[in-house]
Amino acid sequence: MDATIAERPSGAGSPPAIKPTRRRSLRSRIASCWLHLVLIPVGLLWISPLAWIVLTSLKTKIEVFDPEAGFLPAALNFANYPATLAVAPFGTYLINSILVTGSILIGQLITITLAAYAFARMEFPFKKILFTLFLLQVMFPIYAIFLTNFVTLHEFGLINTLPAMIVPFVASGYGTFMLRQSFRQVPAELSDAARLDGCGHLEILWHVFLPLVQPTLIAFTIISVVTHWNDYMWPLLVTNSDDVRTLPIGLGLLAKSDSGADWTRLMAGTTIVVSPLLLFFVIFQRRFIDSFMHTGVK
Amino acid sequence: MATVTLRDICKSYGKSETVTNVNLTVEDREFMVLVGPSGCGKSTTLRMIAGLEEITSGQLLIDGVDVTDLPPQRRDIAMVFQSYALYPHMTAYHNMAFGLLKTSKLTKTQVDARIREAAEILNITDLLGRRPKELSGGERQRVAIGRALVRQPKVFLFDEPLSNLDAKLRNHMRGELKRLHRDLGLSIIYVTHDQIEAMTLGTRVAMMSKGRLQQVDRPMDIYLNPANTFVAGFIGSPEMALIACRSDQRGTIRHNAFRSAVELKADNLPNDVLFGVRPEEVSFSRTAGMAQGKVEQSELIGAEALVQVRLGDELMMVRCQVSDAPQPGSDVGLDFDLSRARLFHAGTGQAINLVRE
Repeated sequence: MDATIAERPSGAGSPPAIKPTRRRSLRSRIASCWLHLVLIPVGLLWISPLAWIVLTSLKTKIEVFDPEAGFLPAALNFANYPATLAVAPFGTYLINSILVTGSILIGQLITITLAAYAFARMEFPFKKILFTLFLLQVMFPIYAIFLTNFVTLHEFGLINTLPAMIVPFVASGYGTFMLRQSFRQVPAELSDAARLDGCGHLEILWHVFLPLVQPTLIAFTIISVVTHWNDYMWPLLVTNSDDVRTLPIGLGLLAKSDSGADWTRLMAGTTIVVSPLLLFFVIFQRRFIDSFMHTGVK
Repeated sequence: MATVTLRDICKSYGKSETVTNVNLTVEDREFMVLVGPSGCGKSTTLRMIAGLEEITSGQLLIDGVDVTDLPPQRRDIAMVFQSYALYPHMTAYHNMAFGLLKTSKLTKTQVDARIREAAEILNITDLLGRRPKELSGGERQRVAIGRALVRQPKVFLFDEPLSNLDAKLRNHMRGELKRLHRDLGLSIIYVTHDQIEAMTLGTRVAMMSKGRLQQVDRPMDIYLNPANTFVAGFIGSPEMALIACRSDQRGTIRHNAFRSAVELKADNLPNDVLFGVRPEEVSFSRTAGMAQGKVEQSELIGAEALVQVRLGDELMMVRCQVSDAPQPGSDVGLDFDLSRARLFHAGTGQAINLVRE
């Protein structure tokens, strides 16, 4: 009896036992494939403008408007790049862009860490009201305060200088809020331990808090750099000479040339403007993605 | 090592007072355990000694020097936290070195020597290169203790250091702490809510409730002679039975379930007293016994049995041999060990001094 019972399942069960595993592996393969089937077109869609920009920058002017011409340039024409650089002093613009974006970032990192630490870990009068004001700043669209900012800078005689593009942005309500949330997640016992280890507030901030909120700092850095690198409106408003202008304004000059937009040069210019950021991102890709996953910023 | 003296220490947040008039002296090389239920003010007291909380009023002396207003790093203390509070971005080595480099003028070689020595004592030499997240709970705890040891402070403060460990590891670390205290001759103030830790570790135990010190004594003295009903109930498991009795001036204690009056000698006994008996101070009588009770339930816990007996309106626990445990529902006679019996004032809960013969 026992033998027959034992035999039956093994004898009858073994051939179909292989089939389900085959089906399963096929199913899981399809499952992983269809994700790629969706992701690849989306990825191509995302990269297509970028590819279009780079390819156009390598075409000749005639090719751009020729309906017969293909997607790829007939011959790689790098002449657009030196020609673009000749239209406007892009070298100066690039330095200005780096100076402006860098100064804003450094200023912001200093102000937001100090403010966020105070809001997260210290008790002082009117703390709640002050914090509400910080949040209110996040809610105001930047365009709403353009005029007052302009007048203020004018009073200080800063119009058409590099500081005009830096000073209004050295504090960030958004950054303060973001960092305060991260600081609040650092266990209170860690700062107690640091106090016993002889640290004051600034040392606690430097040795304990900042190393622990690195992902948030990186996420904020990306947001800040991208925003101010690409900013067009404000620099356009407060500058009127070449030696203080930034890259996006240089691009604007190309688009407004007398004979309409000069597409090949404009695309070459765009490539020049976006490539530092792209390079920056490619190098630090993993850290960026990690930090965004960490902070939940999307 | 040093003495710590707390003089009339108070702490209040706004109008609510969390610690009231604590007077306590921790002797040199003493293991003082502050114990009490959560919210009794024991952690706040420890944090005031550490300098992490401001002292609202009173005076704190370490080795006779007033440190009431000194910042933590100038009090020459080290603290081990419940959550270990190791810096997650530093290795075990740097966790131990960080405070030492900041608070002392030692050279790097001296610091290194101290860390190696402490690591040797705590058996963590192999772990020094690891970060906290690569360590188990027990290893983190050792590193946290190591961080305190290397400082060679006058006083060690422990804030519930074992409560994040599992039961087995907790027992082990308890033994380790006792060994460290004995071998290195440390002065320790240790906060816990666990009465077993308090009983096993403390040279003396300071019992706190509602922000006030209830009793400071050696563990067995607290166990045998609790100062009031709160201490009697907190220390000991199962807790001491407190039987409401009537008494007269001469020390004759009466209860409906008592066959005859119990005679205890004391001066000025109030009319209403609580008769305190621990489970092991009662036994089942082969004869009629001193009191009559009814067994409610009986739990066999391996080596012994805990029997719940109803005595009139009250329930009490009796600890006995498994073979002696009576069946639930049966009537039993009980004998009390009167040499260890205690009386409490029914109104105030304070212990009444008995005249022992």
